[in-house]
Amino acid sequence: MDLPTVRAQFPVLHQQVHGHPLAYLDNGATTQMPLAVIDAMRAFESHDRANIHRGVHTLSQRATDAFDGARAVLKRFFGAGAEHELIFTSGTTEALNTIASGLWAGGPEHAWLREGDEIIVSGLEHHANIIPWQHAARRTGAQLRILRADDEGRVHESGLRQLLSPRTRVFAITACANASGERPPYEAMLRLAAEAGALTVLDAAQVASHAVPDVSAIACDYLVFSGHKMYGPMGSGAIVGRRAALERLYPLRLGGDMVDWVSYEDAGWAPLPARLEGGTPNVGGAVGLAAAARFIEAQGRSAIDAHVHALRTHALAGLQTIEGVRVLAPHAVQSALVSFVARDAHPHDIGTLLDERGIAVRTGHHCAQPLLDQLVQGPTTRASFAIYNTHEEVDRLITAVSYAVKALR
Amino acid sequence: MSSAEDDLYQQIVMEHKRAPRNFGHLAHPTHQAQGTNPSCGDKIAVELELEGEHIRNIAFNGQACAICMASSSMMTEAIKGKDVQLARQLQGHFRAVLTGEVEPEEVEIGKLVALSAVRRYPSRIKCALLGWHALMHAIAGQGGTATTETSHSGA
Repeated sequence: MDLPTVRAQFPVLHQQVHGHPLAYLDNGATTQMPLAVIDAMRAFESHDRANIHRGVHTLSQRATDAFDGARAVLKRFFGAGAEHELIFTSGTTEALNTIASGLWAGGPEHAWLREGDEIIVSGLEHHANIIPWQHAARRTGAQLRILRADDEGRVHESGLRQLLSPRTRVFAITACANASGERPPYEAMLRLAAEAGALTVLDAAQVASHAVPDVSAIACDYLVFSGHKMYGPMGSGAIVGRRAALERLYPLRLGGDMVDWVSYEDAGWAPLPARLEGGTPNVGGAVGLAAAARFIEAQGRSAIDAHVHALRTHALAGLQTIEGVRVLAPHAVQSALVSFVARDAHPHDIGTLLDERGIAVRTGHHCAQPLLDQLVQGPTTRASFAIYNTHEEVDRLITAVSYAVKALR
Repeated sequence: MSSAEDDLYQQIVMEHKRAPRNFGHLAHPTHQAQGTNPSCGDKIAVELELEGEHIRNIAFNGQACAICMASSSMMTEAIKGKDVQLARQLQGHFRAVLTGEVEPEEVEIGKLVALSAVRRYPSRIKCALLGWHALMHAIAGQGGTATTETSHSGA
């Protein structure tokens, strides 16, 4: 991979922040967009923009083709087969809400989740894969059970085995914990849960930019992801799911384009995917998202994966030499991020001092408060890597953290 | 290392962070409240011993960043032994300085002027005001938890 060529494709990187070249190391929150994505969206908006599935005119047909074409590209990207469908959402959070609420919103007659059922969620999750399940449990009388992480932040198959029961109806887990970098053995866990009769949910938000799961090769009923964490636009994302599992979801967005027929008294739902995509979708976002998938394919998934892992290894080694710094999940060699705490130096203060040197990192709870309360009793500083980051930026990070930690003691 | 180190993390700020004043608990608080910042989970609890409108004693405790600890520490120094009305006025002035509504030299905020650089770091204003949120809730007798968010994110 030719890094200068890659970096040249990301206009946002070529700026100074507080008089220093920007080192953007907050990719776990949002990645930047390459020209290929920006150009694809600009071309759609300036040439083909129209509403879809409604018009008989040329632009409407072009927009419809662009939207359906984007769906096809993304289905291939995630390894979807004939038994799968892809539902566009605004991102991972909407996707998980659509699943969790869709499993009970059909009412007692049709609900998958009922009183006495059990939902298992791993202890590594960010809030978007916890709160919708808390809500679903409250609304249905189901019980939410947590597959707790151990003191090193790992979750184990043996722990899941103990929690699984004939009452388990859902198992939800991340492919990589955004707060710690832990990569759980999700393939084996999804299989175990599926064998126990549960519907399985995989949150792929943190891995869609490099270690993309193949949905046909794993026991996954619903895989969710966000476009803005994989070099695509904000407000885009999807559920890739088995058709039978998607058909279990009661549509939450009722209105245009998701119906077969409507009378004043009643309505019938359209087949998938329209059934779960009520209203005018983010067509430009879908076009950009497909362009992002093509960009990742063009660079090569394994090349990106190797690059971000090397940056992570470099950062880990450097941070571990700083006195008083503790990196979470140092064993998580397959992740693209380092999350750490420093004695007597608060993450917000570290983040501000790093920003002064043009280094953008994330500080706080990373929307994963329960896990961090368990592992470090508070917030962390997180550096997360993408295809365009350099080893020189990692060196700057290490030096700046070292200075900040000393200054703040 | 940087201008932030010179203006945001001044010596006096770091000194209050390392040795916060009135840190701990009161034996017999009459009023108390806790402030939380959801973005980082920082928590500051303020305890007061009020005698009518007079703040006889104040203590705070909790875990937070340097800006928040220093601001809370300076707050307790500034209002201990003063009247509630003065505490409210000081909070108003300090807040107005941080949000850029007035210049630091236009109002009397004492040592807290050391934190006026926070106005150039908008993401940190919540940190500087967390202890004050808790103080205002305690004075109002509302107790419970105040957050730095405008609305409480329940379920």
